[in-house]
Amino acid sequence: MKETPLSNCERRFLLRAIEEKKRLDGRQTYDYRNVKISFGTDYGCCIVELGKTRVLGQVSCELVSPKLNRATEGILFFNLELSQMAAPAFEPGRQSDLLVKLNRLLERCLRNSKCIDTESLCVVAGEKVWQIRVDLHLLNHDGNIIDAASIAAIVALCHFRRPDVSVQGDEVTLYTPEERDPVPLSIHHMPICVSFAFFQQGTYLLVDPNEREERVMDGLLVIAMNKHREICTIQSSGGIMLLKDQVLRCSKIAGVKVAEITELIQKALENDQKVRKEGGKFGFAESIANQRITAFKMEKAPIDTSDVEEKAEGIIAEAEPPAEVVSKPVLWTPGTAQIGEGIENSWGNLEDSEKEEEEGGDDEAIILDSIKMETGEVSDIGNQDAPIVLSDSEEEEMIILEPDKNPKKIRTQTVNTKQEKAPSKKPVKKRKKKRAAN
Amino acid sequence: MEWATQTDTKVRTETGTESGPRGPGCSLRHFACEQNLLSRPDGSASFLQGDTSVLAGVYGPAEVKVSKEIFNKATLEVILRPKIGLPGVAEKTRERLIRNTCEAVVLGALHPRTSITVVLQVVSDAGSLLACCLNATCMALVDAGVPMQALFCGVTCTLDSDGALVLDPTAKQEKEARAVLTFALDSVERKLLMSTTKGLYSNAEFHQCLAAAQAASQHVFRFYRESLQRRYSKS
Amino acid sequence: MAEAVPVAAESFAGCRARAARTVLGQVVLPGDELLLPEQEDPEGPGGAGERPLRLNPGTRTRVRVVCGPGLRRCGNRLLVTKCGRLRHKESGSGGGVYWVDSQQKRYVPVKGDHVIGIVTAKSGDIFKVDVGGSEPASLSYLAFEGATKRNRPNVQVGDLIYGQFVVANKDMEPEMVCIDSCGRANGMGVIGQDGLLFKVTLGLIRKLLAPDCEIIQEVGKLYPLEIVFGMNGRIWVKAKTIQQTLILANILEACEHMTTDQRKQIFSRLAET
Repeated sequence: MKETPLSNCERRFLLRAIEEKKRLDGRQTYDYRNVKISFGTDYGCCIVELGKTRVLGQVSCELVSPKLNRATEGILFFNLELSQMAAPAFEPGRQSDLLVKLNRLLERCLRNSKCIDTESLCVVAGEKVWQIRVDLHLLNHDGNIIDAASIAAIVALCHFRRPDVSVQGDEVTLYTPEERDPVPLSIHHMPICVSFAFFQQGTYLLVDPNEREERVMDGLLVIAMNKHREICTIQSSGGIMLLKDQVLRCSKIAGVKVAEITELIQKALENDQKVRKEGGKFGFAESIANQRITAFKMEKAPIDTSDVEEKAEGIIAEAEPPAEVVSKPVLWTPGTAQIGEGIENSWGNLEDSEKEEEEGGDDEAIILDSIKMETGEVSDIGNQDAPIVLSDSEEEEMIILEPDKNPKKIRTQTVNTKQEKAPSKKPVKKRKKKRAAN
Repeated sequence: MEWATQTDTKVRTETGTESGPRGPGCSLRHFACEQNLLSRPDGSASFLQGDTSVLAGVYGPAEVKVSKEIFNKATLEVILRPKIGLPGVAEKTRERLIRNTCEAVVLGALHPRTSITVVLQVVSDAGSLLACCLNATCMALVDAGVPMQALFCGVTCTLDSDGALVLDPTAKQEKEARAVLTFALDSVERKLLMSTTKGLYSNAEFHQCLAAAQAASQHVFRFYRESLQRRYSKS
Repeated sequence: MAEAVPVAAESFAGCRARAARTVLGQVVLPGDELLLPEQEDPEGPGGAGERPLRLNPGTRTRVRVVCGPGLRRCGNRLLVTKCGRLRHKESGSGGGVYWVDSQQKRYVPVKGDHVIGIVTAKSGDIFKVDVGGSEPASLSYLAFEGATKRNRPNVQVGDLIYGQFVVANKDMEPEMVCIDSCGRANGMGVIGQDGLLFKVTLGLIRKLLAPDCEIIQEVGKLYPLEIVFGMNGRIWVKAKTIQQTLILANILEACEHMTTDQRKQIFSRLAET
């Protein structure tokens, strides 16, 4: 999908507003958007919101053999994904220039700055080390992906706990969380990226540009820094010439922003830890704002399943008669179809008989509109059981069904061949049922 | 990678908010849903069932690639993104199950030569993931205003070795179960739209599970209705 | 929220179809079925006798009911296909229009709608205009006031166009014009080069364009302004200064989530400053 084009009038207005030191969302030139950090129930899982930009981070680990030239060092792996969810223009599975650039920058910010002690990730030198994998998913793109991603990455790393291991001779024992408490990674410092957008050949500068500002900017300067004011990486893109003073000023601003963000991260981490220790509620469910009218919660709902057995028995009793007329094979016709055709279970011929039942249920639910289901939920069906749209005779509405049929035909055939391989009485039963339906 | 996901589940079961065993298994975990939380997609919803959480974004009816264009109906696409690593066969299977379910209820003929894209992101998997994906998809489609002839919901249930039935199972319960069955049901007549199963079970057990899922679906649809009523309470 | 419980209980009791009149203004969900007023009448064998005598009982007055967005006919009922509040507008003959007022973001072109588009390409005799739908609309260079083969309008790629759909249906490429049936611009055409364009939901646009909308009058009292609403959810606004334009844009965006009281407070606070 294409991005909505930016009109000339928006471009002009944005630039004029920037000249007057005004921003669309009412921020000042050096203002950062609100940062919100929430944690999942798993260790190493967090969602970072920077204004409307949202990034999901998850850290995972695995025991692997180390790289040959670095036998005593664990491996760090970063992967940022630009999901189509974030913006229509992001195509799945494509390595765009932007994605490569962002991933490279993240690696430089987090791996090359040696913020994680990779030597502590070594289990047996030359044989077994931990590989730490950081997956970052962009969920919503409203500008400044890199800052949000770098915050998410470092927060997820700080939050993560890896299983404890012990080495006795050649034997490596891995402890489950029940046996031994998982251990946190050793993190030396927390590098955080801060982005600066430049306009009019560097005359004007904005901190933390949003999406529309990014579309009219001339150049971008990203500074990764930790709270000790050590620059971890710096990158200028867009081909603008910056003066020494400008870079120095930016690094000063970055220092302030990084200090603020680090404090926020530490507070969020402490908070989460406290709640976990006290056995309170945590996880994303707790971070949904209750007062929003778009959000809604429901407590545990008990469900009365006491009559399930009788119901099922009733249904089976009712479904029995057609199954008995087994011996009359009917020609295989297209139109038997299924929706959950069970790609997962097609390998298990053992389960064939049960599969058939559900297939029967499926096609009746969707295609054979006017027949009462023999297998399904007879008890619930009132007197208006024809799916409404199908009963209308308008042409387009008829069409709904047709494209559905084609793929189904193919699938039924595959089912067919499978059944021939494993002869059972089932196919016949199914045909019978279908005929009864037609 | 396999190993990593395993530890995840272990960590979760130990530290999760699931407080003790849930009665005889016949209850749904707590539900939560937030709609329209992303600014870019046309519709979005985050759905939580216990500790399982899925985020869904919907674009549509939007422009379609010429190669995927269908002249008389909308092209429905579902993309499911795992939290760790790249999408594999399991994700592709689920994508297809979800797509087929949507196709049965979305009135695609009203928007020919367009695309309706559903992007799902697993945020945390603590059991009944497919059911949660289906629920998130439905809420996101409703939020986007895609025309549908009915709502749908997903319900997972498991059978353990004694034949006891558990609705909306946690990851641990799914792992210990003899059979795991997931159903998609429509809101108008509670008819079966999709079912997928794993493990061994008898004909009678299948119908028991289906009947239980139908009973559970009432609660899910009531949850849908109440949350949508809340959402439109200011307009 | 008070309405939630009875409605849900009713729908689960199996009696799905409800009379359209009783749910007016309430939230309806896809899959709900509605009965039209005529079907509510007791039309059974006993019902006919109780009716007042008509001059020509043979021809029953047919009521014309129009199915608006979010509703479809199925048999003799209405099927809801979108979530939102059910609305109704009487017409002379007694039937009127029913529709579902939903808060959606994606625009689907409708004939007669006035929209704001962005010119994305010039190709030969037509401009391609992005209106936020599933495909760009076409706009002929002759469809401007006073345009002739010689005298082409001055339209550049990236310009904003305020126009009206003359062709918009699901099977055809939408076509826009910037003239009315008499060949007059009537306010349509290229929008000026200044001012700010922003997007809101389609529901808010409909609310703002309602004939008795207070928001517009209140906004008008704040600052002198020029404003254009497109049914596709785009608003263009221009005031004297950048500051004022930004304030107006932010207020209008915020109207989405404010109740009338909250809005009044903010407006009065702004009027003081």
